[in-house]
Amino acid sequence: MSWKTARWIFYLGTLISLVLFLALTLDTHRQIRALTHADRLSEQVIAGKKLWQKYNCNDCHTILGFGSYYGPDMTKAYWRRGAAGIKAVIRAPEQFTTWRKMPRLALMDQEMNDLVAFLQWTSEIDTQDWPPQDQKFRPAAARAVALGASPGALLFQEKGCFACHRIYETGGQLGPDLTHVGARLNYETIERVLTDPRSVNPQGTMPPTPLSHEERDELSAFLAKMK
Amino acid sequence: MTLAYPSQRVAYPYFVIALLLFVLQVIVGIWLALSYAVTMPQGLVDILPFSTTRAFHTNLLVLWLLLGFMGSTYFMVPEESERDIFSPALAYFQLALLVATGVAALVGFVFGWTKGKPLLEIPFPLDYLVVVGALIFLFNVGMTMLRGKRWTVIQGSLLGGLIFLAVMYLFNLPFYANLSIDWYYWWWVIHLWVEGAWELVAAALTAWILIKITGVPRETVEKWLYVELGLFLFTGIAGTGHHYYWLGAPKYWLWVGGVFSALEPVPILLMLVDASHYVRNRKGQLNGKLVFTFAVGMAILHFVGAGLWGFAHTLPQINYYTHGSQVTVAHGHIAFFGAYVLLNVMFFYYAMPKLKGLTAYDERRGTLAFWWLSSTMIAMTLAFTIAGVLQTYIERVMGLGYMTAQAQMRFWFAILVVLGFTFLAGVLLAVVDILTLRPAAFTRKPA
Repeated sequence: MSWKTARWIFYLGTLISLVLFLALTLDTHRQIRALTHADRLSEQVIAGKKLWQKYNCNDCHTILGFGSYYGPDMTKAYWRRGAAGIKAVIRAPEQFTTWRKMPRLALMDQEMNDLVAFLQWTSEIDTQDWPPQDQKFRPAAARAVALGASPGALLFQEKGCFACHRIYETGGQLGPDLTHVGARLNYETIERVLTDPRSVNPQGTMPPTPLSHEERDELSAFLAKMK
Repeated sequence: MTLAYPSQRVAYPYFVIALLLFVLQVIVGIWLALSYAVTMPQGLVDILPFSTTRAFHTNLLVLWLLLGFMGSTYFMVPEESERDIFSPALAYFQLALLVATGVAALVGFVFGWTKGKPLLEIPFPLDYLVVVGALIFLFNVGMTMLRGKRWTVIQGSLLGGLIFLAVMYLFNLPFYANLSIDWYYWWWVIHLWVEGAWELVAAALTAWILIKITGVPRETVEKWLYVELGLFLFTGIAGTGHHYYWLGAPKYWLWVGGVFSALEPVPILLMLVDASHYVRNRKGQLNGKLVFTFAVGMAILHFVGAGLWGFAHTLPQINYYTHGSQVTVAHGHIAFFGAYVLLNVMFFYYAMPKLKGLTAYDERRGTLAFWWLSSTMIAMTLAFTIAGVLQTYIERVMGLGYMTAQAQMRFWFAILVVLGFTFLAGVLLAVVDILTLRPAAFTRKPA
C-alpha cells in the first residue's frame, strides 16, 4: 500500500461519511417535527422535561431506551399507567415497588402534572414500535373495547388498569384477568377493590385507584357487567 | 536515566490522580452491583438513590480516562515535537482545575445538583470550567506542536482527536426542548467521542508506543495509521446512526446506521493485525515484556469488546429487542476496558519507569495485574451478557414484565458483586505496583 493510497483512504473515507451524515442530519431535522409531534411541545411539556432532568430520573430509568437500567423504560409509561397511575407511583413509590426501591420525591401537584404531560408527549413519538414489550398497551386496542361500550371502559384505560390486568387478551399480567370478573365478584366487592384493595385481598399488591365518586360508580358498573 | 525532556514530568501527577480515581470508580461499581443484587432500604434510597451512585461511577470513569490521556499526551508530545511543553505551569493549573471541577461535580450530585442527562450530568457552571480546562490543554499542546521541530502523523492524529473531542463536548451545553433532538445531539458527544475522537487519540498513543517498544519504522506505522483513521471515521461518523433507530428519526437510519456500524469492527481489527505484526517482528527486547503484553492484550480486547460485542447488537433486527438492556452494559464494560482502560494502564507502565528514572523494573506484579484484570473483566462481561440475554428474552420477547425479568437476572448480579471485589483487587495491585515500581532484580545493588 502506497502513502498516496493511505492518504486517499483517510481523506475520502472521512469526507464521504461526513457529507452523508450532515446531509441526513439536515433531513432528519426536517422530518423530526412530524415524527415527534413537535407542534404539541407545549410550555407544560417542556416544564415536565426540565423536571425529568432536575430529579435525574434518567439515571435509573431509560427513556427511548437510553439512560440507566435500574427501572423500567419510560417511553410508553403513559400507555402503561395513564396520568393518574404515574402520579400515584411518584406520590407513593413504596406502594408500587417490592424488592427494588424508588426514591420518594417531593413533587408538588403542578410538577406532577407537568411531568405527566412530558411523558404523554413522549409516548406519542413515532419510535417504529419500540419498545416491543409495551406495544400491548397501545391505547387503540383499549379504545376498540370502549367503542360502543360505557364510559367505564374508557376509565379502565385512562386509570392505567391495563398496566396490570387483561381484558379480551389486552393488557398486563401482574394481576388477574378481568374479562369475566363480573361473574366472580359483585358490584359492592368491585367497588371496595377499587378504593381499598387490601380489604378484599390482604395479600395483594394492588394499589388503591384514585377515583371520584362518579368515576367509581361508572368503573364498577363496567366491571360488574364483564361476566 | 533522565527524561528526554524535563517537562515530561508534568505527566506524573496526572497519572497518580487518574489511578486513584480508577480505584474509586471500581469501589462505586461494586456498590451498584450490590444495588441490583440486594434490596436497598427505602430510607437509604431516598437520600442516596441508584441514580446518584451511577453518576459517580460513569463520571469517575470519564474523568480518570481523560486525565490519563492528557498526562500521556504531555509525556509524548515533547518527544514528538522535540521540544519541552510550552507551559508546564499551565499544565499543572489545568490538572488542578479539572480535578476541582470533578470533585465539585461529585459532591454536587449528592445534593441533587445535576443537569440530569446520563453520562453528562455535570451542571452548566461546571461544564464551562471543563471547557476552560480543555481549551488550556489544547492551547498548551497546540503551541508545543506548532513551535516544535517537526510535524508527524502521530501528532496530527493526537491533536485532531483532542480537538474533535473538545468540539463535540459543546453539543452537551444547550437545553433541548425536544427529547428526540436532545438524544440526537447527545450521541454527537458520546458516540463521536468513544467511536470517533477517542479512537483517534488511542490510535496515536498506540502507534507511538509501538514505535518505541518494537523499533518498527515510523514510516510503516504512520502509513497504516492513515488507513486506520480513514476507516474509523468512514465507519464511525455515519455509524452514529446506529443510535437513531428508535428515537423518532426517519426510517433510513436503520439502513445507514446498520450498514456503517456493522463495518466499525474493521479498523479495530486492522489495529490488532498491525500491533501483533509489529510485536512479532520486533527488533530486540527493549526494557522487558510487560508493555508488549499490555499492547497485544489491549488490541485483542479492544476488538472483542468494541468490535465483537458491539457488532452483536448493532443490527436493528437484534437491537429492537436488546436496546437499553444489560446487553448494552456488557458491551460498555468490555469495550471501555479493552479500548481505553488497558491503553491508559499500558501507557502508565511505559512512562512511569522513565518518570522514576528506572531502566528496567520488576514486572512480576504488573504481569499478574494484567492477567487478573483481563480475566475478571471477561468474566464480568459474560455475567452481564447472560443477564442481558435473560432480560431481552423475558421482558422484551416474551413480554412478561420488567421486574419478572429482573428477578431472573438477580443471581447474575450477585455473581457480579463477587467479580467486582475480584476486579478491585486487581486494580489495587496495578495501582500500587505502578506507584511503587522497583528496579528489576538483576539491576538491584547487592546487599
